[in-house]
This record gives sequence, C-alpha cells and structure tokens, in this order.
Amino acid sequence: METTDKLAQVEQDVLAAMKRPGKAYFVALGCSATLFLVLLGLWGYQVRTGMGVAGITHPVGWGVYITNFVFWVGIAHSGTLISAVLYLFRARFRTSFNRPAEAMTVFALLVAGLFPLIHLGRSWKFFYLFPYPTQRHLWVNFRSPLIWDVFAVSTYLTVSVVFFYVGLIPDFAIVRRYKEGLAKRIYGLLSLGWTGTRRQWKNYNQLYLFLAAFATPLVASVHSVVSWDFAMSIIPGWHTTIFAPYFVAGAIFSGTAMVFTLVVPMRKILALDRYITADHFESLAKILLFTSLIVSYSYVVEFGLAFYSGNPFEMEQFRYRALGDYTVMFWIMIVCNSVIPLTLFAKRLRRNVTYLFVLSLFVNVGMWVERFVIIVASLARDYDPYAWGTYSPSFVEVGITLGSFGLFFSAYLVFLKTLPVLSITEIKEHL
Amino acid sequence: MEKRMRFENKEEFLAALRDLAREGVPQERIRVETPFYVHEVDEIFPPKPAKVKNFALLGAASGTVTGFAFTILTSLSWPLIVGGKPIVSLPPFVIIAFALTILFGALSTFFGFLHLSRLPSLFGVIPEEEFGNAFVITVEGEKTE
Repeated sequence: METTDKLAQVEQDVLAAMKRPGKAYFVALGCSATLFLVLLGLWGYQVRTGMGVAGITHPVGWGVYITNFVFWVGIAHSGTLISAVLYLFRARFRTSFNRPAEAMTVFALLVAGLFPLIHLGRSWKFFYLFPYPTQRHLWVNFRSPLIWDVFAVSTYLTVSVVFFYVGLIPDFAIVRRYKEGLAKRIYGLLSLGWTGTRRQWKNYNQLYLFLAAFATPLVASVHSVVSWDFAMSIIPGWHTTIFAPYFVAGAIFSGTAMVFTLVVPMRKILALDRYITADHFESLAKILLFTSLIVSYSYVVEFGLAFYSGNPFEMEQFRYRALGDYTVMFWIMIVCNSVIPLTLFAKRLRRNVTYLFVLSLFVNVGMWVERFVIIVASLARDYDPYAWGTYSPSFVEVGITLGSFGLFFSAYLVFLKTLPVLSITEIKEHL
Repeated sequence: MEKRMRFENKEEFLAALRDLAREGVPQERIRVETPFYVHEVDEIFPPKPAKVKNFALLGAASGTVTGFAFTILTSLSWPLIVGGKPIVSLPPFVIIAFALTILFGALSTFFGFLHLSRLPSLFGVIPEEEFGNAFVITVEGEKTE
C-alpha cells in the first residue's frame, strides 16, 4: 500500500469519531450537564445563604471542598506524565493516550480551580489571592503555601493548555481539509495557517521537545506544593517530610486510573481498537501497579514515622485514622489503593480491558477517600481534646462534589466531538 | 520557473531528495512539505541550528529573575514580619521563582516558535492548494541576473 493511503486511513479512522453524535451521546451529555447545573445551583445557594449550609465548621474547617481540590489536581498529573515525561523517554505507547490524557489534564485543572473559589465563601474576593498593586501598597504573603499553590496551579494550567494546543496544531490542519464552510474557517484559524513546510516542522519539533521538558518538572512540583498546604502546618498527621513524594505518587496513580476510566469506553464506542491495543493498556497498567506500590509503601512509612516519632499526638493521630471515627473510610482506601491493584501482577488481568476499567473505578474512589481521610481525620483530632469534633458533608457539599464530576465529563464529551481524539500526526509518524 | 514533484510514498520522496542533493541543488531553492516530521530530510540537507532553544533559555532565565525580584522587592516595600521569618525568606521565594521559570520559559518558547515559523499565517488559514498526505518537493528556479 502506498504511504499516503495508509495515512489517509488513519485520518479517516480518527476523524470518524467527530461524526454527528447519536442519541446515547446526548443522553450522557445531558446527564453530565445537569449535574453541573446542580453544582451551580447549590453554589449559588451557598453564596446567598452563607457557609453555614456546608458541613465544615470548627474544628474541621477543610472538608470535601479541599478534598475535591486535591483530588482533581491529582487527576491532572497523569496527563502530563503521559504526554511530557513519556515523550522524553521515547515511550511509543504514549501516542495512543496522549491526546485524551492531555484533555483530561486541562479539564481536571479547570474543575480543581473551582474549589478554592467555592471554599472561599466570599468567592468574589478571589482576586485577593493574586499579587496586584493596591492603594494600600500591601502585597500577598509569599511565605504562605496557599500563595505557592496559586502560582503552581496557574502555571500548571497555562503550560498544560499550551502543550495541549501545540499538539493539536497540525491536527487542526488535517481537520480543516475535511471540513467545509464555516467549520473549515474555524479549524483553519485554530491551525494558525499550518501548512507543514520543513521550517514549520523543524521548529515544531523543537518546541514540542522544550515544552515537554518544561512540563516534566511540573509533574513533581505541583502536587508537592499542594501537599505543602498541609505539611507546612503543625497538625499531627500532616507535618511530615514524606508528604510531597507521597502526594505525587498518589496523583499519578489516580490520574492513570482516570485515563482508564475515560479511554476504555471511548475506545469501545469510537471503534479505536486498532490504535489503542491491549499492549498499550498493559503498559499503562504497569504504571498503575507501580504507583500503587509506591502509595502503599507511603502508607506504611507514615505509620512507621509516627510510631518512631515518640510524639504522643502523632501516634494517637494514626491510631485514630485506622480505628477511629473514619475507620471505614480508611479501610476502603487501603482495599482500593493497596490491595485490589495487586491483582495487576497477573499478566492476564493487565491485558483484560474490562477488568482494568472496573479496577480504575475502585482506584478513583480509593484515591478520593484517601484525600478525605488525610484532611478530615487530622483536623478532627489535633492537640486539645476540648476542640475535638467530627465532620460529615452536608447535601450542598455532596451535590457540589457530584457536580464537579458532571462538569468534568461534560467537558470531556464535548472534546470527543470537536477535536481529534488521538494525535493523528504522531500516529502517522510511527506508522 | 518552479518545478514541483509530488510523491505518494515516503521512500520515493526521500530518493528524489537525495538525487537533488547529489546534483548539488542548494537547499535554499528547495521547499519541502510533508504530512509529518521526516527526520531523514535533515540528514540529506543538514539544517541550520534551530533557534527555538534561545527563546526557551531567555524565557526561563527571565522567569527566574522576575520570580526573585518580584518576591524580594514586594517584601521589602512593606517590611512586615510574618511568623517570625526574615523579610527576605529565600526558601519560599524559590518556589515562586521556580513556577515563573517554567511559565515564562514555556510561553516564550511557544511565541518564539510562532515567530520563527511565520505563524499565524493568514494565507494558510484556508490555503489555496493543499497536498494532504502527499510528500511534496518544490524546486525554485535559479535566479537569473
């Protein structure tokens, strides 16, 4: 077969996904969008009534909202790992996943960015977080981890969007060729007038390499900074040096699981079996298994550190975490994150796509619960027994949490029908 | 006079390019359009060193400088001691400088790429002719004095 025929085949296969969607698609989009509307409604209710409608109060001032923030930032990480780190390591299997994974990164960060605003209460004062010249000549406190967070997360979002867009430029030029009228014009504009000359390709190749190099340290740094929101305090269970690597491993673990959750149905529905094979899934399953082992190791080390600390508050915190008010959550976390993923040692299961999908749902739950356990259990019992208390989320918090999934899946569904779901250019290059 | 060759096959395209190199046609006269980045082209016609890296370095360095200058100068402009830490607390400022290094570096590389590749190009938004998946070599005629 001539090279061009093979290349055209790839284009048609991938672009077939952008065809007019069926009924099932609209039902799925309708459900997700409704959930998102629920989020907006409940947020409005909270703004109007006050923070009292949320379950957070003294002593647990950080509840489900902060849990969601940490969870969604974590989800984003695996996208960057797949698109940037694996690119630098020349791991060929990334080509099958990088586009959906990058989209996931961008959407997860957008969702994550909502939660500090929701948690603020007076959301319209959000700009206080940014350093800007004021009449009072007072600047933000750069020694505060919350300000580091603003810089880390907004840098991460910007770089991820640029990286995602740059990957799309040559693909936009391909879509342009297949479209007519207004759509052709829009994709033409998005492609920036790409024509594929040698000069463009040469510079593009360099740009992609450098963006990958810039994004790679972010995989380690962003969730480290998020973990320091906790580790910089003196709360027992939070104040530990293992937090940064522990959070980063957890982030990649949960993000990889989310890639399975998104890509397995996508591959089935859009008939992309030829491009995303069991081999590709197996490689990704190995990342999942590896990060699961790191996370499990961190759980053990955390307990070890507390045990040897000689600090009664620290020791009590870990006893409480495993056996106290949140014991059920703690054991869900252990089972979902440490025990079930061990089954991936079996090659047969690593290659079983349905199994991977089901497993990924358990990991998603497990990692959300992990963040909840870390945040809530530590605040519920710090030093002074007089200030102990428990927390359970109110219906507003539960609704907003579900709504965040609605927003995430809506954005992803729109992505499936408007942008090429796989990197056509890269698949062609490796053909 | 322009001579255009269009190939359906990558190997034939490379063979033709090698022939041109053997004939001694200077690469300034050759324009190549491909559906993806073909590394072999660079072996046949070694390119000038890419300049994108200069933008990366410049952007990253300016990010580091901005990060430190901004945090230090704003702290000094209202010297308020917080949590018993020094006014100029370098360790936390490193985090800001690190983030800005990456942010400025990535953005500068991107804009540098646009500048060097002559993008966005209005003529290319809806190009007059498109080669699709073909590999195209255009040899421009020799300039006559």
